[in-house]
Amino acid sequence: MLMLRLGKRSDLPQIELLAAASPVGVTSLPANRERLADILAASQASMAEEVTLTGEERYFFVLEDTASGDLVGCSGIIAASGFRSPFYTFRNEMFVHASRELGLHNRIHVLSLCHDLTGHSLLAGFHLADSQSDPAAMQLTARGRLLFMASHPQRFAESTSVEVVGVSDTEGNAPFWDAVGRHFFAVSYAEAERIGSERGRSFLAELMPGYPIYVPMLSDEAQEVIGQVNPSVQNVFDILMEEGFETDNYVDIFDGGPVVHAKTALLNTVRNSTLAQVQIGTPQAGGGLWLMANTHVCDFRACALQLAWEPGQPLVLEQRLADQLCVADGDHVRLVRGN
Amino acid sequence: MLVRAAGLQDLDTLLALAVSAGAGLTTLPASEERLVERLKRIEQSFAGEAPQADADYLFVLEDGQGRVVGTSGMLAAAGMREPWYSYRMGLTVAASRELDVYRQQPTLFLVNDLTGATALCSYFLDPEYRSGDNPRLLSKARFMFMAECPLDFSSRVIVEMRGRSDTAGRSPFWDSLGQHFFRMDFARADYLTGIGNKAFIAEMMPKFPLYACFLSDAARDAIGQVHPDSEAGRLVLEEEGMCYQGYVDIFDGGATLEAQRSQVRAIRDSRNLLLAIGTPGDEAVTHLIHNRLRDNCRMIAAPARVAAGTLVVSAASAERLKLRAGTPVRAVALQG
Repeated sequence: MLMLRLGKRSDLPQIELLAAASPVGVTSLPANRERLADILAASQASMAEEVTLTGEERYFFVLEDTASGDLVGCSGIIAASGFRSPFYTFRNEMFVHASRELGLHNRIHVLSLCHDLTGHSLLAGFHLADSQSDPAAMQLTARGRLLFMASHPQRFAESTSVEVVGVSDTEGNAPFWDAVGRHFFAVSYAEAERIGSERGRSFLAELMPGYPIYVPMLSDEAQEVIGQVNPSVQNVFDILMEEGFETDNYVDIFDGGPVVHAKTALLNTVRNSTLAQVQIGTPQAGGGLWLMANTHVCDFRACALQLAWEPGQPLVLEQRLADQLCVADGDHVRLVRGN
Repeated sequence: MLVRAAGLQDLDTLLALAVSAGAGLTTLPASEERLVERLKRIEQSFAGEAPQADADYLFVLEDGQGRVVGTSGMLAAAGMREPWYSYRMGLTVAASRELDVYRQQPTLFLVNDLTGATALCSYFLDPEYRSGDNPRLLSKARFMFMAECPLDFSSRVIVEMRGRSDTAGRSPFWDSLGQHFFRMDFARADYLTGIGNKAFIAEMMPKFPLYACFLSDAARDAIGQVHPDSEAGRLVLEEEGMCYQGYVDIFDGGATLEAQRSQVRAIRDSRNLLLAIGTPGDEAVTHLIHNRLRDNCRMIAAPARVAAGTLVVSAASAERLKLRAGTPVRAVALQG
């Protein structure tokens, strides 16, 4: 079965393979062994820490096929964006230019470089191997980490954001980058993402335009992709939409993809998940899809199961599954309905 | 040929000129009502009755038959009643030593920097007369006038040259920039400013600086350039020391030329001399000659010779100036 857990140092070789296969826009998953090792080390250090205030912690989750031991997906959370280096986005804004005398009224769409999302928790580094076509695997990878957030709110910020990969072609060209970033930094989109991934995106952001960009002045190709999602991540974007993220306010400074945000406590998974007490036994067959996770930190586990369970009841689990979830009779498990 | 102050008596001729000049000559509006208003203000200005903030001067070029064939003018102090907008071409440098990046981005800043400057305007010359000394006489006569009453003008002199546009009147700069904010064509925007409606610029134009890299190639190329029809006029002004220093017109991107008034050649080098009537001779150089009067000002370009504090001109030239021998005049060589 598929189990979501926190990544360890020994996962590195497999994570590297996943990173190499991830799209170019996922800079939080660099195809670089040293950077990945740093991320894993940071993740392990974060788990060990008693956190009372969000800081530079980050959490890296891996999806393991427990039968084979293969890692088939990963996802992450950065506790607070912009903690080390500034977190930049473009804010979508509307300026109204009007002249009473001439009877003119013109709404102008502008993009303003901002740090509005600084301090938000950031969902990042999502990737699922192509072999995983089961929607439950995608939900587990994307939403399982939200169960972790629900159980440990003190480790995360009040608001959560996600940078969704925007539009680029297979050659690594992005129309938005070509119209905006490229003028300020004469490299291709793919190269910019590589640098951003390895050295931090604020390096590049600092070279980006400080004054608002008047969108009507951009090429049509660039205007068309503002706020557009890369088709390769449409599935996970749909999952985020069901979580209640707001999409219209911010876009990525590199590829113009949406940067979505929401109050953490109001995310569907956080708000609607409930705790149930584990009872070892023989579960009833059938029922709906549930995502469930234990409430541990280091030994965090989450999985997706068909269960005949209703909120308020104890959760009957087989011993073998309880072991895999690292829970014992009487422990609590957090559950949320799968879609 | 003679340059003299324009007045209400020139209304009909000027209306006809404005119509034939078309777009690009915004300060000479082809609207009778506006033109009457302007000519009244011009008469007050020459009479010394207009406050500097309103003072507006217009000269006309007459041919030998007394026919008006050109105009040139100036506002004593631009933008003192309504804001005067320009783009200043600035520079934004994006650089990172760590990433080995260094990029210069020309950036347009909407400014009112030229407020208060004396602004040359309304230059127009009938195509049939665009030869010989006429363009220089008509354009530089303004400097002679300024030299005579410097206190009525700013220490900074500017001129917004007409920017590039095609034969259909389309301006690449406007199409790439202003059009997005005004949703009207260049000719109409130009007309609106011409009739004195400038408030809409502030209301409709982008408030933040603009990176030139977001303009079309044609628009970027037009920045600081002038319309082919104005190239000759630009050269005449450059002879006087006026030059492009990074300010451009907000509509068509045309160059604004500027100079310190006291450094304009015709102002700096012109001298007060007594008029003498005689034979200028073979050594004579074409001079710009001003009768030193204000509302009855008359200026000509004619061969003259400087001799012992006098300016020797032919009897015909003196007649053109309506001056007798022994009268003080201001003179300077037409070309430096």
